Amino acid sequence: MEAERPRAARASERLGRMLVVVPYLVRHPGTELAEGARLFDIPEEELRADLMLLFMAGLPPYDPGDLIDVEIDEGRVYISMADQFARPLKLSRNEALALYLRGTELLATPGLPEASALKGALDKLAEGLGAETLGEAGRIATAEAGRPAELLNTLRDSARDRARLRIDYYAHSSGEWSTREIDPEEVFSSLGNWYVAAWDVSNDAERLFRADRIRSAERTGEVFSPRGLSGAGRALYTPTDEDVAVRLLLAPGARWVADYYAVRDPVERPGRALELTLPSKRLGWVAGLLLRLGSDAQILDPADLRERVKDLAERTLARYRQT
Amino acid sequence: MEPLERLLNLVGLLLETRWPLTFEQIREAMPEAYGGENLDSAKRKFERDKDDLRNYDIPLELRDMDAWGSEQGYVIPKDGYYLPEISFTPEEMAALFVAAQTGGQDPAAEQAVRKLLYGAEGGVLAGLAASPLASGSDTPSRTLLAAADAASRQRRVSFGYRTSEGQASERDVDAYAMVCRGGHWYLVGHDRERQDVRAFRLSRLTTEVADLGEGAAPPEGFRAADHVQAGPWTAGEPNERATVAFSPDVAWWATTGLQGARVSPPRDDGWVEASVPLVDEAALVGWLLTFGPDAEAIAPGAFRAEVVRRLQEAARGG
Repeated sequence: MEAERPRAARASERLGRMLVVVPYLVRHPGTELAEGARLFDIPEEELRADLMLLFMAGLPPYDPGDLIDVEIDEGRVYISMADQFARPLKLSRNEALALYLRGTELLATPGLPEASALKGALDKLAEGLGAETLGEAGRIATAEAGRPAELLNTLRDSARDRARLRIDYYAHSSGEWSTREIDPEEVFSSLGNWYVAAWDVSNDAERLFRADRIRSAERTGEVFSPRGLSGAGRALYTPTDEDVAVRLLLAPGARWVADYYAVRDPVERPGRALELTLPSKRLGWVAGLLLRLGSDAQILDPADLRERVKDLAERTLARYRQT
Repeated sequence: MEPLERLLNLVGLLLETRWPLTFEQIREAMPEAYGGENLDSAKRKFERDKDDLRNYDIPLELRDMDAWGSEQGYVIPKDGYYLPEISFTPEEMAALFVAAQTGGQDPAAEQAVRKLLYGAEGGVLAGLAASPLASGSDTPSRTLLAAADAASRQRRVSFGYRTSEGQASERDVDAYAMVCRGGHWYLVGHDRERQDVRAFRLSRLTTEVADLGEGAAPPEGFRAADHVQAGPWTAGEPNERATVAFSPDVAWWATTGLQGARVSPPRDDGWVEASVPLVDEAALVGWLLTFGPDAEAIAPGAFRAEVVRRLQEAARGG
């Protein structure tokens, strides 16, 4: 009894995927076994073994004539006598909502080339499944925001083709333009912006580049071997030992900083103020941010940052005196 | 008999049966699976199999066998089990695949798209591996699903929330809609205590979403997106426009991000001027200040004066 448990658990998992893969194979006779394995993310040998078991299944009285017929001929799959599995199991409410949410999230990211196809697919999904499964899908919507990355397609195609690129990049932290060679590995969107995870050949290091800050991108003609870099789900900012820990006390009007930057050690203070650390490699952009926050932010540490902000204000004022 | 074979046969039997089957009838129809010596152990096996079916959201139902309800039997209703016919073009199917794979690992979304593959037209899938994309969200998917569930079924919910200004409190809300903006998800609904429509950023929820029962419908003409704060200086109808200028170093970056901007050709000194809708002056002033000496407010006069005032304040040390 006890020994059967792990096998039974695995059988239910196999059942879950069979109820999805078999209808596809019935509908698309002659599908290559390897293609089916890839599409449904099942190891090919497991799929073959499961299909052979399906061969034993059927309807009572389980005479040979009532059993499902499975044929794998020259690597192609043909299934017949499987009327009960000729259509897949319906999407559960959770599955339908999860896919609809992911799709909507992607639609909300500006500049997506697949946007119209995706919109069409989500509409069909909502109509096809109906309110019973998806509820009122019209209540899940997007609002325009952010800026499209014009080079998005170039970046994605280069990541696919493993083509090295020469890019013109604007680093917001330093306010400087630079030309670099990069090996783009994964294009991803996070919090409404597109990024490319790449190997920076010029600096021999892994870097994230914001796609909308790349002004031009040209293939160098070289093909690179991927290092397996990925971007999705990772922190957009990786703190290092060289970081300066900027400690700030934010009035309520400046608390949004905690939502938009990677901050550390937040502590609630009286009057709904928030004290936190903003780690940063360069102080240039932090000075600009502090200029924006004005009297809503108090610099606790480092003290010389105060001078830096004053200096930035002075230099900016100089422009207004000239004209 | 292999467990998988038994489960497949059980699903097939209960899908094809014309009337509900009692356990005894199932045992009779599937002697190899549930027959044999010991009734109790066969029953336990059947109970485990039922759990497995329900784990995969197979709609196994227990129904009365007759009008008197004296006996009950099992059935899987076809209309509850089978996916309705939905066909997708290759482009649509590819887009759904991309969507399912964004946001990292989400087994529910991936299983959903595999079920939908059935309706893919023709030789779809050549382009699927191309152009990978991924994305990340700042909200746990459990919270996201719970909020979407509430909005799409018009539920009333409660949750803990901390505003952007840091005020924490318990909210009691008729869920109207979900809006994704700039990578953040918002639940828009009627806040019963404040008697007003509010947008709640899901990443600021401090508790799980609790269901309080049926909610109220949104008012006529309700548009969820209107309630989610848009780009600070592009929301609403602008009464005026402001002129700003950027140094050659930042001009490309700054002007491509300005919605509704009219950008002029570079001046003789290389600076680029842009005319932008002026809705929220404070927000535009703040944004401009982050550029330091690489940006200048030109007009109108009051706007320029406000920038100068803020700079003088900062130069004095706050």
